[in-house]
Amino acid sequence: MEVMTNMDAFQVFAEDNMWRQIWPELSLVLGAVLVLLVDLFGPKQQKKSSLSGSLAVLIQAFLLVYHLLDYLLLNHTFERSSFSGMLCHGFQGDIARTFFLLASLCVSIMGNRYLFLNRSRVGEFHHLTMVATAGLMLLCQSNNFIVLFVALETVALAFYPLVAYNTNSEKSLEAGLKYLIFGALSSALLLLGIVFLYGVGSNPEAWGASATYDNSRDYLSFEYVGDLLFNNPDNLFLRGGVVLILSGLAFKIGAAPFQIWVADVYHGSPTPITAFLAVSSKAAGFFLLLTLVNGPFFGVSDFLLPLIGVVATFTILFGNLAACTQQNIKRMLGLSGVAHAGYLLVAVMASMHFAGDSDRAVWVVYFYLFIYLFASILIFAVMSLAHFENTDEDQQFEHYQGLLKKHPWIALSLLVGIASLAGIPPFGGFIAKLMLFNVAFEAKLHWSMVSMVLGVVISIYYYFGWIREICFQPKPKFDDEEKDQDLWLRLDQIGLIKFTIICFAVVSFVLGIWQGPFGDAF
Amino acid sequence: MENVTPSHYIVLSLCLFSIGFLGVLLRRNLLLMLMSLELMLNGINLALVTFSRSSLNLDGSIFVFFIMTVAAAEVAVGLAILVALFKKRRSVFSEDMNVITN
Repeated sequence: MEVMTNMDAFQVFAEDNMWRQIWPELSLVLGAVLVLLVDLFGPKQQKKSSLSGSLAVLIQAFLLVYHLLDYLLLNHTFERSSFSGMLCHGFQGDIARTFFLLASLCVSIMGNRYLFLNRSRVGEFHHLTMVATAGLMLLCQSNNFIVLFVALETVALAFYPLVAYNTNSEKSLEAGLKYLIFGALSSALLLLGIVFLYGVGSNPEAWGASATYDNSRDYLSFEYVGDLLFNNPDNLFLRGGVVLILSGLAFKIGAAPFQIWVADVYHGSPTPITAFLAVSSKAAGFFLLLTLVNGPFFGVSDFLLPLIGVVATFTILFGNLAACTQQNIKRMLGLSGVAHAGYLLVAVMASMHFAGDSDRAVWVVYFYLFIYLFASILIFAVMSLAHFENTDEDQQFEHYQGLLKKHPWIALSLLVGIASLAGIPPFGGFIAKLMLFNVAFEAKLHWSMVSMVLGVVISIYYYFGWIREICFQPKPKFDDEEKDQDLWLRLDQIGLIKFTIICFAVVSFVLGIWQGPFGDAF
Repeated sequence: MENVTPSHYIVLSLCLFSIGFLGVLLRRNLLLMLMSLELMLNGINLALVTFSRSSLNLDGSIFVFFIMTVAAAEVAVGLAILVALFKKRRSVFSEDMNVITN
C-alpha cells in the first residue's frame, strides 16, 4: 500500500513536470546513446559509411522534420513553462531548436566524411555532437540560472573533446586544451556573477537593496532576478553580477575582449567542429543574450547599453582588422565570425531599445543567424571536401587557386557562400545586413552604425582576397615548377554533402530575393 | 576573539577565487592552471554555501552539487587532453603550446 502511494506521488510529480515539453531534447539524447551502442556492438566493417554515422544523420534528420511539423502544423506553440518554471518554451524556443537541429545535422554529415578520411572513431563524434545539441536546445529555453549553468556546461563539456577530437594531431589537442582553459575561466566568471545575484537576491536588505516580493522563494529564477534588478538598478553588487554574467556569454559569442581564443581554436579543431563552433555555439550565445537583456536584465538597460555599445564597436573593428592579415582560411573565418558577432551585438542593443522580448530587432537577429548558418555551413562543407593527406587544419588561400577552372560547381557554390557572408547584393547576407542597419537606425544607434559600415568595408578586402584566389590565378605558373596536387580529386562519398551544398546555395540566393514573413521587418 | 561571521566566509571565498584567477593567468604549468580553475570553482562554492546558509534558502546549497559535478567532469576532460598532448610534446608548460600560430 505504501509503495502504491509513493508511486502515485511520483506520477503526480512526473505529470507536473511536463516531460513531454522537452521531447526533442530527450529523443536526441536517447538517439545519441543509441548511436554509441550501435557503434559499440554493431558490425565492424571498413566501408565508406559506417552504420552509426548513417544512423546519427537519420535520427537528426527525422527529428528536424518531425519537430518542424510539430510546431508549425500539429501543435501550434504558445508560451508555456515546465519543471516548475525552470524551463520556458515558446515560439522562439522552437525556432532555436530548429536552428540547432539543422546545424548539428549538417555537422554530422560533414563529420562522416571527415571521420572516413581520417579513419577516426565514428560513434563518439556523433554522440558528443548530439549531446551538445540537446544542451544548446535546453540552454535557449532555460528560465533559471541553475538550468542555464548546467546546460551551458553540458555544451562546453561536449565541445572540449570534440575540438580535441583528432588525437593524432598536435594542433587539435592544443586547440582543445586552450578552449578548455578559456572556457572554464569564462564559466567561472559567469558563476561568480550568478553568485552575486543570488547573494543579493536571497538577502536584499543586507546589501542595500530592497526586496520586491517574498512569496516566490526561487531566488535564481529569471523573474525574481528581473524584479530585483528593476527595483535596484544602482546596486553595485547586482551590476557587478550582471557584468560578470555577460562576460561569460561574451566568451561564447567571441566578443571582444574575450575573443583571443577564437582564431587558435578554430584553426586547430577539425573542420566540421569549426563549423559547429562558428554556428551553433555562437548562436546559442545570442539566443541567450536576447533572453537575458529583454528579460531579467531589462532593469539595468541604461547601464548596459553603453557597455555593449563599446564592446560591439571594438569587436567589429578588431575582428575585421585582424582577419585582414590572415593567410589561413579557418583563422580568417573565425575572425570574420568575431566581426559578425559584433554586428549582431548592435542588433541586440536595438532590441534593448524596443520594448518587449519579441520586437523586430529580435527577429532580425534570428534572420541574420539563419543566413549566417546557411552561408557558413556552405563554406565549411566545401572546405571539408578538400582532401588533405594528414590534417585539414592548414587550409591556406593558395590551396584555392584556380578552383573555378578545376571544379566550377564547387567554386560557384563556395562563391555564393562567401558573397552571402560578405553581404553582396543578390544574396541573403545583404538583406540580413540591410535589416540590421534598419533596426539600428530606428534605435538611433548612429555611432554603432558608423563602425558597422567601416567593418563591412574592411571585410570586403579579405573576402575578395579569397574570391580572387578562387576565380583567378594571381601568381604566374612556370613549367618547371612542381605541379601542385588537386585537393578535390577524391570526390567520392559526398552524396549528402553535395546535396547540402546545393540546398544552402539555393537558399542563400532565394532569401536574398524573397524573405517571406521576415521581409515584413522593413 | 571575534566570532566568525558570514562576511569572513565571503572574503575568504573571494580570496580563493582571485588566487585561482591569477593562477590561471600567471602560471606556466598547465597542471597548475587546471588546479587554479578548481580553486576558482571552490571559492564560488564557499560563497554559495555562505549565502545559502545566511538566508536560510536551499537553492544555493543545491547549486553547489551541480558545480562540484561540473568541476570534476571539466578536470577529467582537461587531464585527458593534457595527457594526450604530453605524449606528443613531452612538456606541460604553456610556452610549449605554440604549434598553432598565425
